[in-house]
Amino acid sequence: MKAWLPLIATTVLSTTAIAADNSDLSYCTVCHGAHGNGNPAIRAPKISAMEPWYIRRQLEAFRDGVRGTHPDDAAGHEMQPVGVRLRDGAAMDAAIEYVSTFKPKAPPITVTGDAARGRELYVTCASCHGSNGEGNQTVGAPALADRTDWYLVTQLRNYKAGLRGSDQRDTNGAQMRALAQTLPDTQAIDDVVTYINTLRARR
Amino acid sequence: MNQGMSRRGFLHMVGAVGGTTAIYQAALGMGLLPAVTHAARPDIAPLTGKRRKKIAILGAGIAGLTAAYELRQKGYDVQIIEASHRAGGRNLTLRGGDLIDECGYPQTCGFDRDPDLYFNAGPARIPGHHSALLGYCKELGVSLAPFINDNRSALVQDDAMFNGRPIRNREYITDTRGFIAELLAKSLKPEQLSAPFTGADYSHLLEYVRQFGELDGRFTYAGSPRAGFARHDYTGPEALKQPLPIAELMRSRFMYVMSFGELDDQSAMMMEPVGGMDRIVAGFMAKVGDCVRLHSQVESVRSTDTGVDVVYRHKGQRTLLQADYCLNSIPMPLLAGIDHNFPPEYADGFTAVQRGKLFKIGLQMKERFWEREGIYGGISWTMQDIVQLWYPAHGIHRQKGVMLGAYTFDDQTGEKFARLTPAQRIELAIQQGEKLHPGYGGYVESAVSIPWHRMNHMLGCSTRWDDSVRTQWFKRLQAPLGSHYLIGDQLSYHSGWQEGAIHSAFHAIADIDRRVREQATQVVAA
Repeated sequence: MKAWLPLIATTVLSTTAIAADNSDLSYCTVCHGAHGNGNPAIRAPKISAMEPWYIRRQLEAFRDGVRGTHPDDAAGHEMQPVGVRLRDGAAMDAAIEYVSTFKPKAPPITVTGDAARGRELYVTCASCHGSNGEGNQTVGAPALADRTDWYLVTQLRNYKAGLRGSDQRDTNGAQMRALAQTLPDTQAIDDVVTYINTLRARR
Repeated sequence: MNQGMSRRGFLHMVGAVGGTTAIYQAALGMGLLPAVTHAARPDIAPLTGKRRKKIAILGAGIAGLTAAYELRQKGYDVQIIEASHRAGGRNLTLRGGDLIDECGYPQTCGFDRDPDLYFNAGPARIPGHHSALLGYCKELGVSLAPFINDNRSALVQDDAMFNGRPIRNREYITDTRGFIAELLAKSLKPEQLSAPFTGADYSHLLEYVRQFGELDGRFTYAGSPRAGFARHDYTGPEALKQPLPIAELMRSRFMYVMSFGELDDQSAMMMEPVGGMDRIVAGFMAKVGDCVRLHSQVESVRSTDTGVDVVYRHKGQRTLLQADYCLNSIPMPLLAGIDHNFPPEYADGFTAVQRGKLFKIGLQMKERFWEREGIYGGISWTMQDIVQLWYPAHGIHRQKGVMLGAYTFDDQTGEKFARLTPAQRIELAIQQGEKLHPGYGGYVESAVSIPWHRMNHMLGCSTRWDDSVRTQWFKRLQAPLGSHYLIGDQLSYHSGWQEGAIHSAFHAIADIDRRVREQATQVVAA
């Protein structure tokens, strides 16, 4: 016979100011998975270990309808009202703070392309995202290594097709949209993401 | 010479001696009555003393509640972990003041507080052959009332016919059948008949066709009381409605759904619990509510050598629950995002099934205007996005009623509605409803919308198994992984029905019972 026992070591959360029982915050892990490590079945990417400034910018983009409003962006549409829900500054702060408590896990590698060709293509990316995919806040570029690779593929396709980065207010997105055009086809997208996967070891 | 006894003669004799039960049993034995076969509730061996086994059930929906109710009665130590603020899963009845926990758009139901003003946002009807569920209704004291699915006086509306003007369901069905019957009668020739028909059968066949379409003596369809009368003035001669132009009727897509009410799961006698579908949940909760922990989101499910370890978060605090067996009804697409140690040949199935995107709207109407139109209960159909309007069969002739203002089945339409804000969804539903009932929007006092694929902790209804996914995955996912069992309507051939959920629980607990019995035998043998 077995016992129900509280996990003392991991109850730190209960003492923080985060409204951990707030149903709004439970949305995060319902879609993005336990500890925000991503769930491909919901098409929700890994958000753990994501830069707080980048999370904020994306939540604001969803809130303002800059992101997740293109008619063909079904997954973005699912996120968009959650951004609206966090329109109150304190709620958004709490969400970002909550995500920072997640224990990140390396996502599985699911994209198989030509890493050598990807490496050549990545030269363009490296100027903003860093040669090791470490990101650069100064130019508004998030880290790419250790993200869910299928999601990087989706977003590159979205940029290329204009599902993301088309809104006039989205200046960062517009840059990415232009740069995504340098990837000639879906194979090139797979190749560059395959190369990005190899950057994990360097971090 | 002994002529032998005819089957009917034999039944008559049995009835004289043994009463109707004997007749029934004998008739079943001779194959005269179709047997309603169903899997019985598993006969779980009771546990006592030190042999109590710990069961962790994830999800307090119908499957989880069923398993808890059955196992607890036999001495199992059961705990149910539920992520939501409420038990019931998709068995959701909305009343004034209830939270509709949609991701991004939490709403509060604004209906008047009144026993008849509720909306079954999930399951809403029970067919007479869902015997396991009906058995629990009986056992738990849940009163049932007839549910009207098929109402020939309700409306059919399609922009493709009669410039969008609605007609009565009975007109469509009767006039199209009359036309088809007339066509068949006029083109059928005795010399065309081949085996198994003989020439003598020609007249029988023709008579069937006549009855099917209610043709006159010359095999012509000239209207029928089935289609209704032009007026109901019972003091003068009755006048049949004139048949509607057939070409218009044939243009309507209603032909694809006109036999909906004849389906196995949709035909009379349908039932609903008095006071709302969640009376079933309340019935189960009265028995097992003390072992349900709400607001508890599962973070991790791990199979171990001796059982299953579950970690859940409740009010920010993590708790480890170690169980001998785990019954898991978390929707598989959500489970895919939870920490686990399952092998890919099991876990990859979680992402293989798709989320269904059913969508419903409920409207509190300040007046039951449909009853003035002679519509009491049932469903009107439209080929617009809202698909259906339901009229409540409970609370007849009261001032107000809650009707269903949309029920969409296909995923694209579900997504379309989900993208709108709740206010926009209602606006669209009212705009479309106006085509069936002019002035419709003027009756709306309060509205709720439920896009199931956006509902917190569920994100879908019902599980979509395409044939290849079913072939590849169903058996593997239905079988346990160690001591971990997937349950819920998702693990049935009847997704979206409570009966499917119950049978998935039966399947799992019967297997646990088998294993526990085997262990006990081994202990004794040792």
